[in-house]
Amino acid sequence: MASVQQARQHRSLPGFGLTLGFTLFYLSILVLLPLSMVFVKSSGLSWGEFLGVVTEKRVMASYRLSFGTAFTASVINLVFGILIAWVFVRYHFPFRRLLDGLIDLPFALPTAVAGIALTTLYAEQGRLGQFIPMKIVYTPIGITIALVFIGLPFVVRMVQPVLQGLEKELEEASYMMGASRLQTFRKIIFPEILPAALTGFALTFARALGEYGSVVFIAGNMPMKTEITPLIIMTKLEQYDYAGATAIAVVMLILSFILLLCINGLQWWTSRKILEN
Amino acid sequence: MIQLTDISKNFGRYQALKHINLDIPSGELVALLGPSGSGKTSLLRIIAGLEAADEGVIHFEEQATNDYGQQVGFVFQHYALFKHMTVFENVAYGLKVKKRKERLPKQKIREKVQELLQLVRLEEFADRYPSQLSGGQRQRVALARTLAVEPKILLLDEPFGALDAKVRKELRRWLRRLHDEVSVTTIFVTHDQEEALDVADRIVVLNEGVVVQEGTPDEVYHHPNSPFVYNFLGDVNLFKGRLERGKLHQGLCEWEISGDLERQSEAAVGFVRPHDLLITRDLTVKDSVPAWITYIQAFGKSVKIELKRQDSDEYLEAELSREQFNELQLQKKELVYIKPNQLHVFTPDDYSI
Repeated sequence: MASVQQARQHRSLPGFGLTLGFTLFYLSILVLLPLSMVFVKSSGLSWGEFLGVVTEKRVMASYRLSFGTAFTASVINLVFGILIAWVFVRYHFPFRRLLDGLIDLPFALPTAVAGIALTTLYAEQGRLGQFIPMKIVYTPIGITIALVFIGLPFVVRMVQPVLQGLEKELEEASYMMGASRLQTFRKIIFPEILPAALTGFALTFARALGEYGSVVFIAGNMPMKTEITPLIIMTKLEQYDYAGATAIAVVMLILSFILLLCINGLQWWTSRKILEN
Repeated sequence: MIQLTDISKNFGRYQALKHINLDIPSGELVALLGPSGSGKTSLLRIIAGLEAADEGVIHFEEQATNDYGQQVGFVFQHYALFKHMTVFENVAYGLKVKKRKERLPKQKIREKVQELLQLVRLEEFADRYPSQLSGGQRQRVALARTLAVEPKILLLDEPFGALDAKVRKELRRWLRRLHDEVSVTTIFVTHDQEEALDVADRIVVLNEGVVVQEGTPDEVYHHPNSPFVYNFLGDVNLFKGRLERGKLHQGLCEWEISGDLERQSEAAVGFVRPHDLLITRDLTVKDSVPAWITYIQAFGKSVKIELKRQDSDEYLEAELSREQFNELQLQKKELVYIKPNQLHVFTPDDYSI
């Protein structure tokens, strides 16, 4: 698409070199440098020690729990985030703006407060917990609930503007050609919001993986059962085992990076058709 | 036959359509013509079933409407193409969403889409995405997509509004040919009188939510029933005067009029199209008015001349054929004599329409 690139020479901000330079510098200081320290610290261990630490049974169980709950929470947020965005964009009802504002609250609340609130609520004798026949607090379900809570805004806020910008005529055209509502949603609306929804999913997932504050209260932190990886890292830090903590952090980082890369690839693939031209 | 009976539509306090009654015979190409805000698009959307009328009924082929989804095809002003689908997928959409029982086998769908793409001359573009097409091509995809479901009625909302003049002209010729080939009842909305006159079998002129006049292009152009229609369908010159004994009197001049000769009025207005204004240098021509030539636009097939009346400082517009112009050798700032040839007179009563 040579012609497109030529057209882009009209840039609103001058100085490609300057802005790119700044971006790289900024990212280095804020992201790359701190992250690289993790690698540096963990290099204090020998290869064998490193493998020993990161593949310890208790640590392996925590990976499974962390990635499993983060993924489940992201899927739940993906589905209901789209639903919530849909309702806010398509329907007008009293207190819509107020409710819309509530969506961002999980961001503002200190995560520890959220964790304590959720634990009290879902405890066996808690306000909600007493009605639920199964155990929530101190199980992976509780962890997932906490992660759903803190990840709520991402998908909603990503999908909302896309839905808002969707031409109504597209749906009307679909109906006029005899498509049902379901077909119209599946074939017309869903492909349009999918890239944004996937971005929201990736953000939720990333946030959920690293979440600590809200989870530790509701998780109960039983080794092998409800102990998330960030907690293991925390524990090791408290025992001044910096090398061990960073070794596990390195594994988390690499795994997250690979997964996010995959999601981004998927997101690129779905939006390619719309954006490539 | 589509029969609209007493259709009204309000948007809040604003009355978009006021008691519309309209019959559209099968197989015709009809233009809904009107300025913006005249309610023409609302009317089209109501016929399409995209909007519900507040009052009134629509009958299709002597059948009350409730469920006519696929009988009507609609082409949107901005095409509304599905941008994540190729041209082929866009055109196939209506065929693929059919219920399994009614759906054509894959191979048949492929053939039909190819056929339609041929019809709109876009065979080579089947694998492109809408964003890779020009405006005219997108419009043709939108048409092919709509025709795929074989609608009995085709509705087009300002179909050529977003295209440049040349493509526009080409496409409307093409629409005319297509209509003659496929012979579906076609209704299109436009604010361009030239487009309506050029293409349609029948023109329905709308203003402020009311049908002002309907008829063939010839009828509405040559026999407009109101000052509004006369004005809207082309350029006009106004001659205000007194209507008496079948003549329009202004100062010492009296001009023959067409139409009802019995009418009397103190405040009549004569309407003349620019090409019905005679220009001479001959002072002795009876009932002529002196005017200065202020501007000559001499490119194109006809020559447009702007004049300023010497007596009243009113501006007039005349249109001469190139031959006439060459014969007269008119110059800017020259004093000439003009005389309206075909006066169409409206009295204050007509303005209430």
